[in-house]
Amino acid sequence: MLAPALAYILLLVALPFVAAVLLSLTNSSAGSLDVSFVGFRNFRAVVGNPVFKRALWNTFVFTFVSQVLVIAFGNILARALMRRFRGKTIARFLILMPWAAPISLATLGWLWIFDSTFSVINWVLKVVGYFGPGQWYYWLGDPTLGMVAIVTVHVWRMLPFSTVILIAGLSSIPAEVHEAADIDGAGTLSKAFYVTVPMMLPILSVALLFGVVFTFTDMSVVYLLTRGGPFNSTHVLASLAFQDGVLGGDVGRGAAIAIFLLPVLVVMAILTLRVSRRAEVA
Amino acid sequence: METRRRFIVTGGRLVLAGAAAVAAGPTVFTRSVAAAKELKVLQWSHFVPAYDKWFDPWAKEWGAKRGVEVTVDHVSFADVVPRATAEVAAQSGHDIHMFLGLASAFEEHVVDLSDVVATLEKKHGKPVELARRSTYNPFTRKQFALSDMWVPDPGNYHKKVWTDIGMPNGPVTYEDLSKAAPEVKKVAPQMQIPIGIGLSQDIDSNMAVCNILWCHGGSIQDKDGNVVLNSPETLKALEYTKRLYSVGMTPAVLSWNAASNNQAFNAQETSYILNSISAYRTAQDNKLPVVEHYFFTPALKGPTGIMLASEHVMSGYVVWKFSKNQDTAKEFLVALVDASRESTLGSKLYNFPSFFGAAADPGTPVAKRPQSGTAWVEKQCKQDPFGSNPPDKLMVLADSLKWSTNLGYPGSANPAEGEIFDTYVLTDMFAKAATGALSPKDAMTEASNRAKEIFTKWRAKKMVGGGKDR
Repeated sequence: MLAPALAYILLLVALPFVAAVLLSLTNSSAGSLDVSFVGFRNFRAVVGNPVFKRALWNTFVFTFVSQVLVIAFGNILARALMRRFRGKTIARFLILMPWAAPISLATLGWLWIFDSTFSVINWVLKVVGYFGPGQWYYWLGDPTLGMVAIVTVHVWRMLPFSTVILIAGLSSIPAEVHEAADIDGAGTLSKAFYVTVPMMLPILSVALLFGVVFTFTDMSVVYLLTRGGPFNSTHVLASLAFQDGVLGGDVGRGAAIAIFLLPVLVVMAILTLRVSRRAEVA
Repeated sequence: METRRRFIVTGGRLVLAGAAAVAAGPTVFTRSVAAAKELKVLQWSHFVPAYDKWFDPWAKEWGAKRGVEVTVDHVSFADVVPRATAEVAAQSGHDIHMFLGLASAFEEHVVDLSDVVATLEKKHGKPVELARRSTYNPFTRKQFALSDMWVPDPGNYHKKVWTDIGMPNGPVTYEDLSKAAPEVKKVAPQMQIPIGIGLSQDIDSNMAVCNILWCHGGSIQDKDGNVVLNSPETLKALEYTKRLYSVGMTPAVLSWNAASNNQAFNAQETSYILNSISAYRTAQDNKLPVVEHYFFTPALKGPTGIMLASEHVMSGYVVWKFSKNQDTAKEFLVALVDASRESTLGSKLYNFPSFFGAAADPGTPVAKRPQSGTAWVEKQCKQDPFGSNPPDKLMVLADSLKWSTNLGYPGSANPAEGEIFDTYVLTDMFAKAATGALSPKDAMTEASNRAKEIFTKWRAKKMVGGGKDR
């Protein structure tokens, strides 16, 4: 009964994980199958590298900021979609689109939106007179704006999932509870903090933890949008691991960078399991 | 029970097939069922699409004449190395793998092609030196790849704008660029980026910064493979770039991808870029207004008098050791070089033959073939058969071999140079210095340390020479 699940975990989770740990302790390179054990040399090398330090910082910023925004906007959208209005089905469909669209295709669209020369945002701002002479936003050519662009695309991509989860959470709160709160004279804020949030906490936690894990390990938006540039300033750990390990051919170093994701992911996994168990009990 | 087992087996097969399809990436499959002999070729999607329209049927036809089923899979240039990595790890895949730049990191897993090169030299004479240095490792003495073509990387300038600033023939030196930039702003204020040299994490920027470095007398390694990036010459190159950036560029160049400089020039948003003629051919194909203003310059001279540009593309075909069709693969490569005239024309003069002799007039004796082939290529450049106006617009390319060189100059290409290229060590150094993110000296020190670390690692694997790093 458990065999397929166990086989799946062993083959697709445990084995790659053990391989990554082992590779990080070797001098493995892309063009070679011969490896030698080098101890913690790869870790020492990456820890001293300013690009790695920046990528580590970016990973946390990317994860934290995008998750806060996803939960905030997800709540707003979910509440809006709980109401009755004309065209609700179409609105739901459109909101779900980013989740269904292939990220590479979607990012091409965003690449045009944020292109440093042809950005449609910039041209609109220019036409409406917002930009003075010589003013321009170099979205992907500036480290800060680059991170803004990356977070924006990631929020756009994650929002539908979060919204759907939150709609499910909101729908599961019985109407009688709200009515009882109304009778007790609870205001909007009181109802939100003492009724809605506590009752949604398990599902909210799952959405948040899933989002954090997904964001923390994601490299696709960074790789497709900025490729870590300008001057390696927008890398996250996953994209830097890919650049050094696969493109640069230093597999051992790439694995060492990727392993730095591990402590956070372990904590997240434990939290996820605990929250799920609590939700189950509840 | 039986049903469940069948479900699991079928499901497993589907998952494996799906995983294989995903791993295969964006490829074009031209495969058919069962053949007596087969040959699988991984080829890039050429920047001039006309080349693929020539190559694919040519390869099929070559195979058909020999009873070989030839399969050509195309991947984007960015996927060439990741695909090679995956195939080496799996020890299966294509027989022939085409690299665009440095295949040297995969040396251990490819067959020595010395016999192929010897055969071709007997037929057509020697290959060009930059091709040899890109495909032969003098340290391991292995011919790890075969180059059938290389691509010149001239400057593309906007004739009208440069005429308006009093330089109708475009820039000659790097200093001309920094002098011209403020003038371009005056005569063409609508242009966003007066001088469009990329400083981003992309292939074109990588080549551009190599050019600036070399022409100021610097380089990553010397001819013996010692790291010499930490030098007064590098510092001068960085200081120059910082100056050029401040007078003629914008942060847009920090974010460019391989298509960005083409797009900027074709939209007349910049007056000068470093690129092969693919951007020009795109403008021709799409009948863009910029076509009449497209003109070319050779590599620019640095303050040292050095005038060099990196090849824009250097083909490096390898035959994997795991291939079961190594002999057929070698025959295919010989035939590909033999067809250099057709491939040069198929690419609309984008590709230049690595064996010029292979483009010689039929019947020319071997000793005179390189000369004859060179003359044929020059003739095409001076009378572009693909509709340039004036017809000699590409004349600059005729003697491009004189000012072109290989990645790794003044030494040979090697895996350390490849890793430095692929992890953007040089572009980062230039971008940080140009924008003031680091001082030129600090940017140089940071990059030099990284370069030394990479070289040391590859030396330990006995694939790179040198060791007296600066």
